[in-house]
Amino acid sequence: MKKSWIATLAVFLVMIPLTIYLGSKIPGRSYYLTGTFIIVWLLIPFFMKFEGKRPQARELIMIAVMCALAVAGRVAIPVNHFKAAYAVIIISGIALGPETGFIVGAVTALVSNFFYGQGAYMPWQMMAYGAGGMAAGFAFAKGKLPKKPLPMALFSFLSVILLIGPILDVCNTFLGMPEVTASTLAASFASGFPVNAIQAATTAVLVFFLGRPLLDKLERAKLKYGVGEV
Amino acid sequence: MTHDAFSKCHPSVNFVFFILAICFGAVFQHPAYIAAGIVSSGTYYVLLNGKKSIKSFLRLLLLFCFISFINPVFNTRGDTVLFKLFSRPYTLEALIYGASIASVFVITMLWFGCWNKVMTGEKITCLFGGVAPALSILLVTVFRMVPEMIRTAKRIVSARLSIGKGGAEKLSERARSGASALGALASLSLEGSVTTGDSMRARGYGTGKRTSFSVYGFRRRDGALMILVAALAAAVIAFAFRGATRAVFLPERYFAPLSGANAAGLAAYCILLLTPTVMHIREVISWNISKSAI
Amino acid sequence: MEHFKISDLSFSYPTSGDAALDGVSLTVNKGEFTVFCGKSGCGKTTLLRHLKTVLTPNGRRRGEILFCGVPLGDVPEAEQAAKIGFVMQDVDDQIVTDKVWHELAFGPESLGWDQKRMRSAVAEMACYFGIQDWFHRDVSTLSGGEKQLLSLASVMVMHPEVLILDEPTSQLDPVAASDFLNTVRKINAELGTTVLISEHRLEDVFPYADRAVVMDGGRITVCDTPQNTGRILFEKGDEMFKAMPAPVRAYYSASGKGESPLTVRDGRAWLENSFPNGAKSVEREVSEYAPGGRTALKMKEVWFRYEKDGKDVLKGVDAEVPEGCFYAVVGGNGAGKSTLLNAVCGKIRPYRGKTEIFGKDIKKYKAGELYDGCVSMLPQDPKYLFVKKTVGAELAEMSRDADKIIRTAELCGITELLDRHPYDLSCGEAQRAAIAKVLLTDPRLVLLDEPTKGMDSAFKESFAELIRSLKERGITVVAVSHDVEFCARYADIVGMFFDGAILTSDTPRRFFGGNSFYTTAANRMSRGIFDGAVTVEDVVENYNANKGLQR
Repeated sequence: MKKSWIATLAVFLVMIPLTIYLGSKIPGRSYYLTGTFIIVWLLIPFFMKFEGKRPQARELIMIAVMCALAVAGRVAIPVNHFKAAYAVIIISGIALGPETGFIVGAVTALVSNFFYGQGAYMPWQMMAYGAGGMAAGFAFAKGKLPKKPLPMALFSFLSVILLIGPILDVCNTFLGMPEVTASTLAASFASGFPVNAIQAATTAVLVFFLGRPLLDKLERAKLKYGVGEV
Repeated sequence: MTHDAFSKCHPSVNFVFFILAICFGAVFQHPAYIAAGIVSSGTYYVLLNGKKSIKSFLRLLLLFCFISFINPVFNTRGDTVLFKLFSRPYTLEALIYGASIASVFVITMLWFGCWNKVMTGEKITCLFGGVAPALSILLVTVFRMVPEMIRTAKRIVSARLSIGKGGAEKLSERARSGASALGALASLSLEGSVTTGDSMRARGYGTGKRTSFSVYGFRRRDGALMILVAALAAAVIAFAFRGATRAVFLPERYFAPLSGANAAGLAAYCILLLTPTVMHIREVISWNISKSAI
Repeated sequence: MEHFKISDLSFSYPTSGDAALDGVSLTVNKGEFTVFCGKSGCGKTTLLRHLKTVLTPNGRRRGEILFCGVPLGDVPEAEQAAKIGFVMQDVDDQIVTDKVWHELAFGPESLGWDQKRMRSAVAEMACYFGIQDWFHRDVSTLSGGEKQLLSLASVMVMHPEVLILDEPTSQLDPVAASDFLNTVRKINAELGTTVLISEHRLEDVFPYADRAVVMDGGRITVCDTPQNTGRILFEKGDEMFKAMPAPVRAYYSASGKGESPLTVRDGRAWLENSFPNGAKSVEREVSEYAPGGRTALKMKEVWFRYEKDGKDVLKGVDAEVPEGCFYAVVGGNGAGKSTLLNAVCGKIRPYRGKTEIFGKDIKKYKAGELYDGCVSMLPQDPKYLFVKKTVGAELAEMSRDADKIIRTAELCGITELLDRHPYDLSCGEAQRAAIAKVLLTDPRLVLLDEPTKGMDSAFKESFAELIRSLKERGITVVAVSHDVEFCARYADIVGMFFDGAILTSDTPRRFFGGNSFYTTAANRMSRGIFDGAVTVEDVVENYNANKGLQR
């Protein structure tokens, strides 16, 4: 069995239950701490898988370009509320598959934190962005959804509003709400909704315009230099 | 860049300290511990950020109020009803509990703010270098590309502007042109990435197991500091499990008394958290002494 | 002892039928300094890339390459990585990591060296290249020249026996380029490293090279000492003769025989010895450039700075550009020449002064009006303008008028390229395609930012031709450039930009004739002997006239 599978099993069967148990024993308020540790454990198998692949130079650099593009892309679009990150991550997922999509998302979140500085949300962002890339990879895997502007744009809208946004809202609940209950979660979702909706809409617009061209460019790069075979 | 003694220590010491400080800060709700957390993280934040801290403090103060006032909306327990909101009681006890949650939030944010200054990308990749070589190189290359891409993106936008593209008033036109500019950036970067890949392979990437060059030597001082931090943290944990940090807000307020052994726990906590601040100030003082000697 | 032995190497890329290399045989000895030259696309890059397995392109191949007597393919990759250093053309893209120290350590890390060995190797190289002061800096804060030096150092850190450089200076300004080439020479002389370098800028490498290899169409046409190479090219009437250093060209064009001088110093000696009793200069009508007509651009006391309490970048720029001329601004690196262009096209707002474009204050142009049929700018890298999949689509983005597109494509000579991907174009072709995009906005004033960067001599000539046809159409061209030789040859007016202002502006002949350092090689060579000889042709004309007098 591969290392990353063993790690996955270890995370689900040992680390998460152990963290929850210890969290409940901690004297004090432990929602954020427990939650964050669980997120960190969940991230580990993905990165182990990535390490296990021993990515070649060109493949590694292609992933790096997509991450950097997601971090720096907002400069190319001097329009308010247009953040390139989600669009680039989702398109990366579509073009390069779920595993690589996850890595692009997670690393984007990690690096963004160094350039734009946020902090407490970091592991959650890594998970949220990574999940966004991975979902796109699964949804558009061979023969599933068509890689056309409209389906891609719709998918992006839904994935930001139903997946990426809510994960970050959960973090807000864990961090700032008095307790984690259905009603506080609902309140977090409700307060996050306007921002998520705007982000989802702008991401959808960007994916609509950028999706096909960027997929073609990635396709061209893969063909020309024989990298990143999905 | 400001000189900071703690930042010059080995990344592993920085990392362990911040993880401990953040974990403790996120958990302890005893007012004394909260006070210790706020004072030490706040002081260190100011030492690192200087005048810019005022803006961050104001923002945190706003968030503090928001979180404090929102708690009683969800939490109606407590006897001292201040007023009724949507026919639900808004109690003083819940408000105080909210304030403690908000303080914990503020402490976490402040420590992360310090983390941002101290734990540079260089240090993170140094820590990962041994365990996750591929991720470490990926991070390094992304750090390398981002500033370059920001510069290129600005140039592309400006170049397009001077052939009459992207300056339109209409939002949809601008979004569309932005997507084109982003596409151009992607093309340029993807083409360039082939050269980067070649340059990596030309210098032997992928020929065998990588080692990682460290600009940070682990000195004796780092070892001593690590032991100190670990010992203090162990003491804090031990006292915490003995109930020194016990704090109950609802239904009835109860805080563990600060007498006897409990005071030792709090002292350990304070010393731990103030370590970077003390190191910083000590360096400033000794620098000033040697400067006046010249 | 031979380092590389290439026998009968032929190669063609999978996408094209033509041979990129055609029966190339070459032996490179240890410690030799070999220069490769030839037009863009002559196969020199392809040949150099064959000398390192990981960089060898895919395609059909015949022939054999031996490295120290062993077939190159049998030399393990790790050994090749250490022993064969390769520096590429792209200044930015070949740097992998974000810190200077990490870039230096990247090779040793990949080869799995231990900490101690890495430390001493890195320290040693940092000192040798004098980069210990910027050891901890971010790569993104380095200048182009510094970046290229870093790339060289991070290859040298593995102590290679062979150093291969593929057009390493094509993206650098002249000062940084000769610094870089001097370092390469130093490495060859002090460490005995074998050097194989391909270059357009032959002035700086020819005098020191042991051998020059000229390539054309995938074949080696000349392989000889630099002196002989100049003569052979001249005798054959080869196009590459135009790329030779100025003293070589002047010497053979004038006298045609014997050993030519390679440096300006030797060129001067040659001229002085030819005319021991002094020479008379050819009288030339030196007139003001006065085409009459309107003024395209007028700047009066323009001041600008980027930040409120930053330094002034433009300090009272005065300029007047007549309509229909080619105005070139020369000057050092980072002096603010690009800022000047941005001020002309209204992208930055000077805090004092006045800029008039075609007699109208720039502030009175409405948003968008300026870029629609008035001013247009070609960026330093033409790729900044490419957003589509084909050149045709690029042009279609600019205009719906099919006739106009065809006409513009013809003017720029890119009719055959319309179906190509813009990124598959050569540097010169890409420049033309970008110009076509610029021209489709119907500009009356075209601004060019370093237009000849990375171009070889053949491309420069056809580019000058294009500028001429723009002028014929009444379009005014303003360029900022480092390329003194190009401006001397083709510009109508040259302005010197220094310390935030245009200090002097004049016709190239008077401008460069008056300078003694910042001028063309031909002028430096003939200064004090012939007056006002700026180009190689001027020198030759003077020489012949005086030889006639002597007889």
